[in-house]
Amino acid sequence: MLETVILTIAKIIIFFAVLMFFVAYGTYAERKVAGGIQDRIGPLHCGPFGLLQPLADGLKLFFKEDITVAKSDKPTYYIAPILAVVPAILVIAVIPVDENIMITDLNIALLYFLAVSSLSVYAIMLGGWAGNSKYPLLGGLRSASQFISYELVLGLSIVCVAMLVGSFSLRDVVLYQKDMWMVFKQPIAFICYMIAAIAELNRAPFDLPEAESELVGGYHTEYSSMKFAMFFLGEYANMVVSSAIATCLFLGGWYAPFSILPFIPGFIWFLIKTFLIFFFMLWIRWTYPRVRFDQLMGMSWKVLMPVVLLNILVTGFIVTFGR
Amino acid sequence: MIGPLIKGLSITIRHLFGPKVTIKYPYEKRKVYPRWRGKHVLKLGEDGRERCCYCGLCEAVCPANAIRIYGKEDPIFEKSDVGKIAEIYEIDYRRCIFCGYCQEACPRDAIVLTTEYELAVDSRSKLLRDKEDLTEKR
Repeated sequence: MLETVILTIAKIIIFFAVLMFFVAYGTYAERKVAGGIQDRIGPLHCGPFGLLQPLADGLKLFFKEDITVAKSDKPTYYIAPILAVVPAILVIAVIPVDENIMITDLNIALLYFLAVSSLSVYAIMLGGWAGNSKYPLLGGLRSASQFISYELVLGLSIVCVAMLVGSFSLRDVVLYQKDMWMVFKQPIAFICYMIAAIAELNRAPFDLPEAESELVGGYHTEYSSMKFAMFFLGEYANMVVSSAIATCLFLGGWYAPFSILPFIPGFIWFLIKTFLIFFFMLWIRWTYPRVRFDQLMGMSWKVLMPVVLLNILVTGFIVTFGR
Repeated sequence: MIGPLIKGLSITIRHLFGPKVTIKYPYEKRKVYPRWRGKHVLKLGEDGRERCCYCGLCEAVCPANAIRIYGKEDPIFEKSDVGKIAEIYEIDYRRCIFCGYCQEACPRDAIVLTTEYELAVDSRSKLLRDKEDLTEKR
């Protein structure tokens, strides 16, 4: 019993550390990719190739003045940044990095992921409300409607996968993909998942809640110092976690592509695939312009929803009659 | 609809691995062409005497009113070959727009714009450069 507790705590610490490492160097990667795509170099001065830049950014944010808006709704104002980080960190509990490396093999892991990750909308809504300012409020409202629309697409595209596998456990989902990755069996679900995930993360081209050109900074306009850092931490942690889940669901988790290079351990493959999806999100952000809000909602309800529902229907036929 | 999206992605990925235009400024300097208009210098003649003869054309032509010039006689031709030199020659770098008209107007090629462009100083008063500062050092 005691051994299990200690082992679990050690696992949690390691998973948390790896996630935070990914988050820190996610910001670095973001800046390097942004620079590269715009023919610039990106961070360069802190350490070799600017590798200590995330550390410097963190220190800077620590020493900034922590402003609390006088007429804000205080409890909400303090809770919102916490809510931004916690759900993303909770999700790592169910992510299987290798066949036997995971914090817990929850049999409802996918439901847990959906339930927990949709909590982060509260951070944005409450953060937008608590600042007692019009731009954050507008950002928060936009975020709420965007989340509700894309949450459905995200959930339904996961349902397509769960129908084939017949289990909500992420470990079972990956084991199912031993011979063929899910992305080849469910390409439409994969595309829908990626679009919905990017929209859920408030990333460009769907970053309407924090559209700088019209809403100043969006929902975190009234936050400063570590509270602001918490929102950013949450955003990047959500990105990493979404990439990890996408890897589990569609890219065969820890399995090497087409069974080549079997000597590389599974968790390395997992991290590589997660990073590739993460990189894809950065690539998308620095390529496409922001969509208009009605286009965003229209795409969710008029395009993605019917497509993913049709996909579920076809998958259902295959599952029922195909065997 | 999908075609243009993929085309956009391919363009950005090419730029990501393509050549960079950044100049790492403090470590490497921008390549400066000879006609660059930077800091002014008051030239000396081949005999070491000043070329400027206080005609005042540069002050008259300066569109930003950055130049202030006041002359005096040099009867023993010690510093000038025409008997007149500038006693005060000030260029206010807070006003100067580096148009180069002073260089164009100067009949004796006395004032010339050099390629030196790092003109930042730590106080505003230092931006008012006097004759001693501007005269060519030999």
